[in-house]
Amino acid sequence: MSLLKIGTSMLRKTKSSRGDFVFSADRLIRLVVEEGLNQLPYTECTVTTPTGHKYEGVRFEKGNCGVSIMRSGEAMEQGLRDCCRSIRIGKILIQSDEETQRAKVYYAKFPPDIYRRKVLLMYPILSTGNTVIEAVKVLVEHGVQPSVIILLSLFSTPHGAKSIIQEFPEITILTTEVHPVAPTHFGQKYFGTD
Amino acid sequence: MSSPPAFSSVRISGCWALGPDGGNSSAESLDRLYPAVGSTKPPRKRTTSQCKSEPPLLRTSKRTIYTAGRPPWYNEHGTQSKEAFVIGLGGGSASGKTTVATMIIEALDVPWVVLLSMDSFYKVLTKQQQEQAASNDFNFDHPDAFDFDLIIATLKKLKQGKSVKIPIYDFTTHSRKKEWKTLYGANVIIFEGIMAFADKELLKLLDLKIFVDTDSDIRLVRRLRRDISERGRDIEGVIKQYNKFVKPAFDQYIQPTMRLADIVVPRGSGNTVAIDLIVQHVHSQLEERKLRWDMAALASAHQCHPLPQTLSVLKSTPQVRGMHTIIRNKETSRDEFIFYSKRLMRLLIEHALSLLPFQSCTVQTPQGQDYEGRTYSGKQITGVSILRAGETMEPALRAVCKDVRIGTILIQTNCNTGEPELHYLRLPKDISEDHVILMDCTVSTGAAAMMAVRVLLDHDVPEDKIFLLSLLMAEMGVHSVAYAFPRVKIITTAVDKKVNDLFRIIPGIGNFGDRYFGTDAPPDWSDDEDALST
Repeated sequence: MSLLKIGTSMLRKTKSSRGDFVFSADRLIRLVVEEGLNQLPYTECTVTTPTGHKYEGVRFEKGNCGVSIMRSGEAMEQGLRDCCRSIRIGKILIQSDEETQRAKVYYAKFPPDIYRRKVLLMYPILSTGNTVIEAVKVLVEHGVQPSVIILLSLFSTPHGAKSIIQEFPEITILTTEVHPVAPTHFGQKYFGTD
Repeated sequence: MSSPPAFSSVRISGCWALGPDGGNSSAESLDRLYPAVGSTKPPRKRTTSQCKSEPPLLRTSKRTIYTAGRPPWYNEHGTQSKEAFVIGLGGGSASGKTTVATMIIEALDVPWVVLLSMDSFYKVLTKQQQEQAASNDFNFDHPDAFDFDLIIATLKKLKQGKSVKIPIYDFTTHSRKKEWKTLYGANVIIFEGIMAFADKELLKLLDLKIFVDTDSDIRLVRRLRRDISERGRDIEGVIKQYNKFVKPAFDQYIQPTMRLADIVVPRGSGNTVAIDLIVQHVHSQLEERKLRWDMAALASAHQCHPLPQTLSVLKSTPQVRGMHTIIRNKETSRDEFIFYSKRLMRLLIEHALSLLPFQSCTVQTPQGQDYEGRTYSGKQITGVSILRAGETMEPALRAVCKDVRIGTILIQTNCNTGEPELHYLRLPKDISEDHVILMDCTVSTGAAAMMAVRVLLDHDVPEDKIFLLSLLMAEMGVHSVAYAFPRVKIITTAVDKKVNDLFRIIPGIGNFGDRYFGTDAPPDWSDDEDALST
């Protein structure tokens, strides 16, 4: 889709200003979130319109939650909030261990009944996929089935997506682009810490 | 007009001094004007060629509100079937042309009358000519002093219903001001000037030619009074100029054109019988131009046709259907209605933007590798919302299009005729090269949307650069818009089958504007919702 391509062009450009960068990122995030919500279960229903006629529609089921992987995943929280005003959002902090260079979980806080919820896991850039794999492990420890996890991301390398699927074949991954070069500067530029 | 330079504001006060009661301008009306004219010299207003019909207008410094809207001026094919009626008004200097024009406008009592003055079309003077003008030696009463090419081009366009730009002539520098005045949408055009009949090409454009024949003595008296009491000039100078330019010009160029006129009005504005006759004639001409098209017949004509190629409906994903379910439900609270309609608008606009033209581009990435991307290839995007409901889509457009320019069009349906009427218009400058996103929340018969598209076309926006966006459309509206404007892109989130007798979409969404803005009266006038949201 051309539109995504424009957005990704803006994000990848070295020269784009932070304002433009954040603006484009938020637009892409919103589109990914909307697509993610489409994966959630719903039931058919009929409502009456103000003209007194019936409309055959659908109703979404309750029991979802968002989980963002800190820090860059937090950039996607607002996009989710803009679509679901009162959704519960959990957080996981994962950092590379300075000695072993492996991803290590430092902090996790979820809604207590997360085991019976569908989870929208948010992490914008999938490079190696290790961070996400660690995060899913934590979720599984809290009783979440991998089959109900929907991973929302902006970019993925083919390798990253593959390693996640190898580890958890039932997970759903949504992204705007699969490309060998990941824009790893995303978090720094989005939050202005570069 | 033989008005010499350096006296701004004189002409307008002059015409007031002549007053609506004709040439018997009384001393007190002059006195009344003294303070305004004095030393401050306000800008010469009359050259803006503005519509002068005061009764149907509310005017502020920047805006015009038509208290009576303009009914459709195009047929169901979207084209203007008859050109605007042009009245040419000629006559010597100070013969009372403007007063006659004002009286005609008042008596016509129809909105959308435009007064175009030849004064706006004086040529830009060279340096040498400027010096002549300063010493009263430049002949402003000669056909060569006017830019007839521009007059003809402007009048032709205006007659075709297009939007035109009128120069604003600065009489102090004898050049055109930087900003030109935009004039649009006239059913009747009154074109007045001393040389109104001096060009053959121009004559062809005039549907009715009126010559205001006022006695030369009276005209001289008026000139003397005007120039001396209002412009502070001495009697010698005025008479010198009169003899040198004004009188010869009248005898040579103006008087002979009298035989070209359809009607000669002796005694100018004092002649109410003549003005009554003129107004009657114009009324009958306007009646001929009236358009009546039956929306219901139009609807049935398209009933079995497949939906047009230019229609693009947002993919009906579970979320889109879910949001439709919420906003269509009559039980939905206003808070939720606003929230979910906004979400839907955002998707609609993202979808519309994806239909704009793109080109490939290469960008450099911080990772050191080039990236083959895309970028928008048009000049810029402009949004135009159809008030009131279309306005609600502006935030969504702003959220995805940084710094987008937004214009507004107010179209209301006349309760008596069922026709849409154009009431107010404010478009950004130079939109003819932009992609225009035209926003209205619901399109049922398509009448308002068609009018808005027509307005954009009149402003030289190419048809294929217009994108009509709507949350919900009825098949009838889609067909009528597509039939009239086959190259306009129509983008919506859902198309409903039917329209009821009140032209509401079935099953529909109700009155979008009322539900969004809360102007639908709740049966028990409960304020619970308000309390919750504050």
